[in-house]
Amino acid sequence: MKPVLGYVAVAVGAGACVVGISALIAGLRMHDPLLLRIGRRCVFVVLGAAIVAAGVMEWALISHDFSIRYVAENNARSTPFLFTVTGLWASLAGSILLWSVILGGYLAFVAYKFRRRAGDPLVAVATITGLAVALFFFALMLGPANPFTVLDSVPLDGRGPNPLLQNHILMAFHPPVLYLGYVGFTVPFMFAIGALVTGRFGEGWLTDTRRATLVAWGFLTVGIILGAWWSYEVLGWGGFWAWDPVENASLLPWLTGTAFIHSVIIQERRGMLRVWNLSLVIATFCLTILGTFLTRSGVLDSVHAFTESDIGPWLLTFLAVVAGVGIGLLAWRGDKLRSPGRIDSVVSRESAFLANNLLFAALAFVVLLGTVFPLVAEAVRGSRLSVGEPYFDRMTTPIGIALLFLMAAAPALPWRATSGEVLRGRFLVPAWIGGVTMLVAVLLGARDVWEVLAYGLGAFATAGIVRQFVLGVRGRRRALGESGPLALGRATRSNPRLYGGLVVHLGVVMIAVALAASSAHSTNTEVRLRKGEHTTVNGYTLTYLDSSTTRDSQKSTISARVRVERGDRDLGVYAPAISSYPNSTEGIGTPSVRTGVKEDVYLTLVSSPKGGGRITLAVRVNPMILWLWIGGGVMALGTILALAPRLRRRPRTPHAEAEPTDDVEPLEEVPA
Amino acid sequence: MIKRVLPWLALGILVAGVLVVVLWPGDATTPAERAHSIAAGLKCQECQGLSVADSNASTSSAIRADIKRRIAAGESDGEIRQYFVDKYGETILLEPQSTGISLIVWVLPVVVIAAGALGIVFALARNRREPRLHATDADEALVGREREREASE
Amino acid sequence: MKHPARWIALAVAVVVVALGVVLALNVGTDPVAASKESRLIGKPAPSFDLPQLSGERVSSDDLAGKTVIVNFWNEWCVPCIAELPALKKFWAAHANDGDVAMVGITHASNLSEKQLARYVERAGLDWTIALDPKSRAALDFAVRGQPETFVISPSGEVVGYQLSETRAQDLEAMLAAARGLG
Repeated sequence: MKPVLGYVAVAVGAGACVVGISALIAGLRMHDPLLLRIGRRCVFVVLGAAIVAAGVMEWALISHDFSIRYVAENNARSTPFLFTVTGLWASLAGSILLWSVILGGYLAFVAYKFRRRAGDPLVAVATITGLAVALFFFALMLGPANPFTVLDSVPLDGRGPNPLLQNHILMAFHPPVLYLGYVGFTVPFMFAIGALVTGRFGEGWLTDTRRATLVAWGFLTVGIILGAWWSYEVLGWGGFWAWDPVENASLLPWLTGTAFIHSVIIQERRGMLRVWNLSLVIATFCLTILGTFLTRSGVLDSVHAFTESDIGPWLLTFLAVVAGVGIGLLAWRGDKLRSPGRIDSVVSRESAFLANNLLFAALAFVVLLGTVFPLVAEAVRGSRLSVGEPYFDRMTTPIGIALLFLMAAAPALPWRATSGEVLRGRFLVPAWIGGVTMLVAVLLGARDVWEVLAYGLGAFATAGIVRQFVLGVRGRRRALGESGPLALGRATRSNPRLYGGLVVHLGVVMIAVALAASSAHSTNTEVRLRKGEHTTVNGYTLTYLDSSTTRDSQKSTISARVRVERGDRDLGVYAPAISSYPNSTEGIGTPSVRTGVKEDVYLTLVSSPKGGGRITLAVRVNPMILWLWIGGGVMALGTILALAPRLRRRPRTPHAEAEPTDDVEPLEEVPA
Repeated sequence: MIKRVLPWLALGILVAGVLVVVLWPGDATTPAERAHSIAAGLKCQECQGLSVADSNASTSSAIRADIKRRIAAGESDGEIRQYFVDKYGETILLEPQSTGISLIVWVLPVVVIAAGALGIVFALARNRREPRLHATDADEALVGREREREASE
Repeated sequence: MKHPARWIALAVAVVVVALGVVLALNVGTDPVAASKESRLIGKPAPSFDLPQLSGERVSSDDLAGKTVIVNFWNEWCVPCIAELPALKKFWAAHANDGDVAMVGITHASNLSEKQLARYVERAGLDWTIALDPKSRAALDFAVRGQPETFVISPSGEVVGYQLSETRAQDLEAMLAAARGLG
């Protein structure tokens, strides 16, 4: 019964997409508001159907209904409850279910938000586009990726999820958050297509989708950071980012999306870069689909190889259609899109944004090129090669440092043009703070040029951010006599996008500094210890206490207990482990991490304590890693701040908005 | 004038000094550093996406030990890399070589950035040449109408 | 340059189509196919001279003129243990052939020599079991993990290679091929 119910729900969802698209197209042609309204309503049916289908799947997982192939393959009676629930996104078919629920949610949100503009052709075309995307995913579930396929003979127990997917709580958050980001970029894409089709390239479609874009970007940011964290805590090689094709696939839309949320400000402010912005939105959406294709088709060698399936050709066809429509529309409308604005000075906020976009686009290009190059090389000369971490590090570090410089300088640059006086007033102190930081870093022994630059620019940027907040608060305190915290809150609320953006930048500084420190100063030492022996690594004393073996139906795990001390301080007992699974040549190591503000001690068991009783322990000391995760949190916080509604001006305090800097963000509101 | 420029000049000297110290060719790299950098450029054969330096797999530690032996025996970095390429194939190199088709992956990004930067510079230059009011009046009126229309909806 | 957007769109379209074709051609191919083959096939086998558990040594020179099965294995790798019955069956059929030798090279074992000897005896492995101090042989054979099986023809050429678990019939087929060459 469950499979039937689920499949019917999927079919209803697909049907609602078809009905909605037809009704909207007919409504647009015949100018019939009733049809347009029907078409809009279909969006809610789509969401409902997706929720029912996903609910049925969860029900089947929780009740261990192994008659459904998906449940049998991704769940076992011994699977803990949490990983039973997360089984929904443990493999392909379920992930697409989750995808369709999230897409349905975004579409319903758009339909609700624009309920008074249902007759607007731009909104109607956008809705048609969104429904077409949803139709594709429902069609996948009806055919090649049917989550409700039934098994002829019901097994007594299921296989359970992939071992890597059931040993960390982050697995419950990383995929859904990433999907919330991926799928969210459908909204700006829908409206970009709507703007291109209706020929209304004004700034309207941007303001319409500004928030949705920011929401999607925030989720994608957090999703990527959570993925890195999961990799660090689970995979046991001491790092968090290996430039794996699937990791790159999630980074690509983030890069173009980040470029977009910056360049969109110039278009709103100065009416420039229309074609570029539309291209970025379309490219971002295409890259989310490309990422899904790379993850799911198994054309590239990846740690996510367990996600492979045979829907590759479907995704590629869909990608071709999306890219074809996007590029075709841009070419068709391109010459009518000439922007009215212009740039007056090389040293201005606009040109800083242009440089920012060039660098983000270049970064995306490098990552894409490196990711697909093995395939290109094979197509050209018949044999593969590898493009890995050293290449990406070498190419992306300089671009990243240049972006860090822009991030430090650009937010304080005035629009249009500037003078030496303004530059001095705004930059001299922060720049000196940066310079002195570089000097201190070198005196303390840093010798890597990128590392020193990252610290200096990080300090420069932080000083600039603090300066903007101080000015905002001081302005309010002087003008209104507000207390410090109140003034801080009000100032932030008075221009959420500016201050939210600055908080995001602060998070980026933390991540940049953490990346620089950890890549320059991580150490990796292998030690062999007998029971009771101790050794000292980088000032940490490690004592091997004992080891124990646990066996269950799926694996046998050997864990070694190691006491970690620094000086007289006992930092606790850590237990890195190795688990052996059937059909696995190497044991899967589970690291044990002592997280610290300054540095982590990352222990992995290299060889288990058989025989002579000696264990081999890899001891990695990774500085500043905690700040990656904190930086991610700060970026999320900044995004939330930027999304907050703007505090309305009060008539009795006309100077409340008189921010001391003359270049606050534009004041237009989001039309509801 | 001097008073205005001086703080920037001093900052410039400070930063330049720091960069000179950092970029000054230091002591020759130690054998251990060489071994690490070679290992970081080789792909672990039984894991996915990791380098020999990062991996704890048995073959990786054997390769690391072999690299150290070869360095001690006086082989150059290039010779050691070539030895592993001959053994395992070009896919063992994580960083594409700078010959043949692999050159594309190094040169193309630079070309793209340069082309983009030139494009921006040309656009700025054209903007400066063209008088401010050239053709933008009609455009701005268009934008104005568009904005009003959307605001009224 | 009347409509630069169109030219740029055209250029982007060309790149996208090319990329699409490359991706499409690769759907369904195995990205790690190359690493499942050995580059040693058809080349002279690396020479080896390794200590055995018994204290004697076994070297490639001693085995010249025979078909040699070289099997890299250890006691903790699950597929290695899984393929032991197949190896036993194969060796039971060919131990007395005279023109066949089989050498199990223990790679990355966690056991001491004594423990390994006990393990081998208990498991009933009666072919030559060699040790590989410092993984020299593993590197010479460019081993990627274990188990890995190489078949060396009587003329000293590598003629067969199997990554991961072998079956008795695979070994028979490789042996037949090697004999055919000799």
